[in-house]
This record gives sequence, structure tokens and C-alpha cells, in this order.
Amino acid sequence: MTDDILVVDKLTKQFGGLRAVGGESGLSFKVKRGTLVGLIGPNGAGKSTTFNLISGILPPSSGSVSLNSKDLSNIRTSDIAAHGLGRTFQTPRAFPSLTVLENVMVGAESLGERLIPVFSGAWRGTEGELGTKAAEMLAKVGLADRLNETVSNLSGGELRMLEVARQLVRDPEILLLDEPTAGVDPSLQGKLSSILVDLRKEGRTLIVVEHNLHFLLRIADTVIVLQNGELLAQGTPQEIKNDQRVIAAYLGDEYAA
Amino acid sequence: MNIEQLVLTVLTYGCVYAVMTVSLNLQYARGGMINFGTVAYFAAGAYAYAIFTQEAPSGLDQYAFGFDAPWWVGFLAAGVASLLFAVITGWPTLRLRGEYLALTTFAFAEVFHSFLLNERRIGNGSVGLSNINRPDFSAIGLDDKYALAAAAALLLLLTALLSRRLLASPYGRAIDAIRDDEIAAETVGKDIKRMRFEVFLLSAVPIGFAGALYAMITTLVSPYLFTAEVTFFVWIALVLGGEHTIKGVVIGTLALVTFQEVVRSFHFETVRAAEIAASVEHVLTGAIFIMILRWQPFDRIKKKEAAIKKKEAAA
Repeated sequence: MTDDILVVDKLTKQFGGLRAVGGESGLSFKVKRGTLVGLIGPNGAGKSTTFNLISGILPPSSGSVSLNSKDLSNIRTSDIAAHGLGRTFQTPRAFPSLTVLENVMVGAESLGERLIPVFSGAWRGTEGELGTKAAEMLAKVGLADRLNETVSNLSGGELRMLEVARQLVRDPEILLLDEPTAGVDPSLQGKLSSILVDLRKEGRTLIVVEHNLHFLLRIADTVIVLQNGELLAQGTPQEIKNDQRVIAAYLGDEYAA
Repeated sequence: MNIEQLVLTVLTYGCVYAVMTVSLNLQYARGGMINFGTVAYFAAGAYAYAIFTQEAPSGLDQYAFGFDAPWWVGFLAAGVASLLFAVITGWPTLRLRGEYLALTTFAFAEVFHSFLLNERRIGNGSVGLSNINRPDFSAIGLDDKYALAAAAALLLLLTALLSRRLLASPYGRAIDAIRDDEIAAETVGKDIKRMRFEVFLLSAVPIGFAGALYAMITTLVSPYLFTAEVTFFVWIALVLGGEHTIKGVVIGTLALVTFQEVVRSFHFETVRAAEIAASVEHVLTGAIFIMILRWQPFDRIKKKEAAIKKKEAAA
């Protein structure tokens, strides 16, 4: 097994005439196993599109993504997920007809999703354990007392936490989080950062898109900066903070030294 | 009005149609797939039963196949025929969503109807197949009309039980998730193509069995019995009973069949009066349908019950 869990190689995505990701030469970067990587950039830089390309929701126009040295081109989103990649969305996507607990339970692969175990009843034995695990994950993200509510009762920030719990129950090797702190209660943000740090300690790899740099730069090992779909800089939080090109991209040329 | 006859008719036809609405409930209300070709699966089952159980053609017969098989072979063949028809129609179309799938399934059903109408070697064309064999119910000491009503009720019960078993399992949870948000379901590893296809096939099988039973009841299959009207009838019944619950769709279907049979059981002195009654029946069905959609009485009852439960839980 190589040291790099995720390798993005010359990736491009074209929407009509607009190149959203990749610029001239394509977007390339590598993510080391067990690190927490921040993905930042101004609005429209292509962060969410990059996530969509990695998770297989959008097919790339050219280039490739590989996970654990396995090329993900032409692999369906559900199979990429089964290979250990989890992700959340910029706009939370919960399942409105399921309760909070069911929303998390559905995240796990259950024996009861195959027809034969359904009709033989073999799935029943696994359901209790799954429920306990799902409730644990919900407790972790601060939703312990909301288990049987419908998701329409949850706030935007709570829905984000629900999505995190839904991914955690799947035990992914690599987790892509799209703006996890947006709309999340400040008191929960501290909790979220400790969850992320814990996940990293467990050996998982995390890629976090975030506008809240204060939150991100404290926990990230590496930061990747995108601008207009191209890699602007990659380095440690300290290097990124002092990078003149990044400051110019974020705040305008007059702030760069 | 002969009450016993009325009850038996309602029970027999009501259960046959309810098998279809329970299957549609699985396909549409839970699986999110709009199938406007329901009648084709029903017809496939009925014709398969007829062809497998009838005698080989002789003399002036224009149909080409007749296997003279026992009733249970025909019954199983009906399920298989409907399943095969679902494979043929589902495989190319299930990537479509919403009304596009509705239109395509409707078109498939119309093509199938036209095929039955014009192809004499399979189903004897517009004449259809008659004198279809019934199982010998005297062996269990029951008159045909009671036995058929019981068989219809049994088929409905089995369909409802299987449907409930599927929907109450993690499978039901997963197809709910797929219906709610396909992309999110994919990112948690749900194979939406497989699950949608399985639900489509599974719900077609009971419809085929219902078709076989229908052929036993009427002892006749003809293209005129299997028109789009059957599809619309079961869809109206599904909406009437309120989607999502098996109990609801069964009650909806039985109510609709009862209403029609009651209207039909009146005796009329003149042909004109009967004609008017027949038209009024359609108008009334439509009016009731619109009223239920407008005021949604069943949803209100459900909401009230839920509110009461919540209050009790809080107290």
C-alpha cells in the first residue's frame, strides 16, 4: 500500500465552454494517508466540483482520480462509496421520509438490503447493533436526544451534523467534508473540530472544504488552495498563511506584500 | 339487489385489483417509479394462464399454442410471464425518472395491447381466448364463486405480507432513501440501479398472478378486458386510499370496487336509464376522486391521530 491514499492526476471538468476545474494543465495533487487536508479557495474556485469529481457524482472531462491506487474512472458513485470514500454536501442532503436515527442507519451497508436475507429474516440479528452504532454516532455529533424526530425539525447546522454521523456509521477510510461548519452553532464547532481530530487519530484521511479559516488552519496538516480551478498553493497551514499569492487571491493584491 | 352476490363480487374483484394497488404502492409510493402500464403485466399473466392451460389448437382454431397443463402450471407461468415482461420493459426504461417513465411504461402497455389485438397466433387476436379452465374446486368441497373469492383474498394477503416484509426491513429504508435523494443514497453506497430494478420486478409478479386469477374468474381473456382503463382504475384506487400504507390502498380499492358494483347492481326498466346510470357512475367516480384530492380526508385523520399520540406522549 502506498503512502498516498488519493491521487488526483491532471483532472479537468468542462461545463459547456467553461472550464470549472483544471485550467490549462489539469488539477493534480496527492493526499497522504491519515492526514487532515484543508481545501480552500475563493467562491467559484472549483472546490465542490472537485469533490463531485472525486466521489463520482460528475464524470471528469479528462484526467483521473485514484483511491488506494485504484483508478476510479468509470466506477459508479455507489461503488466508490463502497471502496471507503465518504462525503457530505455543501447543501445538506437528508432523507426527509426517514427519522433522524433511520437517516444514519441507512448510511451503513446492511444485510437487509439484499432480497434473500430480507425474506429469510437473516437481517434481524444485525439490526440492533446497527441501531446502537447509529445512536452512538448521533450522540457524538450532539443529536442524541433527537433520534426519533423527522429531519424537517432539524436546523441547517444540525443537518450537517446528521450527514457527518451518516458517513461515520459507514466507517469510511477517507472522508470529504464540504463546509462542515457553515450554519453550525459555535459551541458545536469546537465539538466538530475535536471529532475531526479524533477521526484523524484513528488513521482516517480527511479532506475539508471550509471558508472558516480560523477553524481549519488550527486542525489541518496540509492545505490546498484552489483558484479558478487550478492549484494555487499547497503546504502547511503556516506556509499558506504567509503565502503572498494566497493572500492576494483571498484579500486582493493590495494586501500582498 | 342480491346482497350475497354483491359481497362476493366485491370481494373477488376487489381483492384482484387490490393485489395490483399493493404492488403499485411498492413500486410508486415507496420505490418512486411511476408505472402507467400496469394493465400489461396483468394481461401478460392472464394470457399466460390461458395459453398454458388451454388445449392444443384443433379445427378452426387460429391460435398456435395450447399446452393443456394443470392450473398450477398456468398460474406459475402467469407470474413468470409478468416477470419477463417487467425485465423487458424495465431494463431499458428504469434510467428514466418521473413522468418520462410513466409515458414509456404507458407506451409499452399500448404496444402490448395492440399486439394482442392483432396477433392471432398468440391470443387469438380480437376474439381472445375463451372457456379458460378453472381449477377443480369441488375437490375441496367449495362452489367456484366462493373458492375464487377465497383465492383472491389469499393472493391479496400473501402479496400484502410479502410487501410488508420487504418494506419493514432495511430494504424498505434504503428504497425510501433512494426515492428521497438518489445522489445522497449513492454516496452511502446504495446501488440504486439494482434496487430499483428489483422492486420493479418483484412488484410485477403478484400482478401476473392476479391476471391468472382474473382469467379463472372471467374464463375469458380478450384485448378488450385489458385496456388502459384498468391501469387508471388501480391508480385511482391507490390515490383514494392514500399512498404509503398497505392497509390504506387495500381499503381504497375495496371502496372503489364496492361503489361501482353497487351502482351496477341496480335494476333499470329501460336501456336509456341504464345508459344514464353508466355515465353517471363515471362522473361520480371522477367527482369523488377530485374531492378526495382536494380535501385529503384520510391524511387529515392520520395527522389528527399523530397529534393525539404526540400529546399523549408529552403528558
